[in-house]
Amino acid sequence: MADPSLHSALLVAFGAIPGAWLRFRLVNHFEPMVPRKHWATFGVNITACFSLGLITALERACGPRPQLGLLLGVGFLGSFSTFSTFSVELLLAWLAGARRQALALMLGSVLCGLLALSLGLQLGA
Amino acid sequence: MPTQRDTPSPDARFSAEAQALLARRRLRFELRELGLVAAGAVPGALLRWQAEVQLGPWLGGAAGANLLVNLVGSFVLGVLAGPIPRRTSLVLWLGIGFCGSLTTFSSWMLDTAGLFQAGHPGSALALVLGSLALGLLAAALGLACSRRLFRRRSEPSA
Repeated sequence: MADPSLHSALLVAFGAIPGAWLRFRLVNHFEPMVPRKHWATFGVNITACFSLGLITALERACGPRPQLGLLLGVGFLGSFSTFSTFSVELLLAWLAGARRQALALMLGSVLCGLLALSLGLQLGA
Repeated sequence: MPTQRDTPSPDARFSAEAQALLARRRLRFELRELGLVAAGAVPGALLRWQAEVQLGPWLGGAAGANLLVNLVGSFVLGVLAGPIPRRTSLVLWLGIGFCGSLTTFSSWMLDTAGLFQAGHPGSALALVLGSLALGLLAAALGLACSRRLFRRRSEPSA
C-alpha cells in the first residue's frame, strides 16, 4: 500500500458501515419482540462482546493481524456495539421510574458482556 | 381497476406491477437510510480509532481513549434525546450512525477484561463503575442542555 494510514482508514470505514447498519436493522427488528426497547441494544452489545473475544483470542493464537483487527475489531464491532444508546436508555429508564429495569439493564449488560467476552476468548483459544 | 370489491382473485398483472412499484419504493427508502447511517458511522468510527491512536498515549492507553469517546457520544445522544426539533434523518445520521459508531461497548468490556488479566482488578472495577457513572452523567448533562436550549426556543409563549 502506498499510504498505510489511508489503507487503515479505509479498513475502519468499510467495517463501520455494515456494523452500524446491522445494529440499526437488528434493533428495529427485535424491538417489538422484547418487553422493553433497551433489551434489543443489550442483545447487540452482548453479541459484539462475544465476537470481540473470539477475534482477540484468534489474533493471540495466530499472531497479530493488524488489518483484520482494524476491519473487524475497530471498524465492524466497534460500530456494531454502542455505549451511547446504552447509557441514554439507562438514563431514560431511570428517569421514567423503571428503577428495577434500569438496574437489571446495568448489571446485566456489564456481567453478561464480560461473560460473553470471556466465552469468546475461551472458544477462540 | 378494482371495480368489484368482491372479486375473489385480484388482477394478477396489476398486482405484480403494484408490488414491483412498492419494492422499488422500499429499496429507495432503505438506500436512503443506509446512506444516512453510513454517513454518520464512517466519521464516528474514524474519530474513535484516531482518538485511540493519537490520544491513547496521553489517556493511559486504549481504555482512556475509549472512555473519552463513549462520554462524548453519550452527551451528544443525550442532547438528541431531549426536546430538540427531531427529524428521522437527524436521528439516523447523528444518533444511530455517528454516536452509535463513535461509542463502543465491546472495547470497554475488552479493556476491563484486559485489566483483570493483567492483575489490576481494582483498575478494572474503577473502569466499569467510572464508565457507568460518567456515562450516565454525560447523558444527563446532554439531556439537560437540550431541555434548556430547545424548550426555551420552541415554547416562548408557554
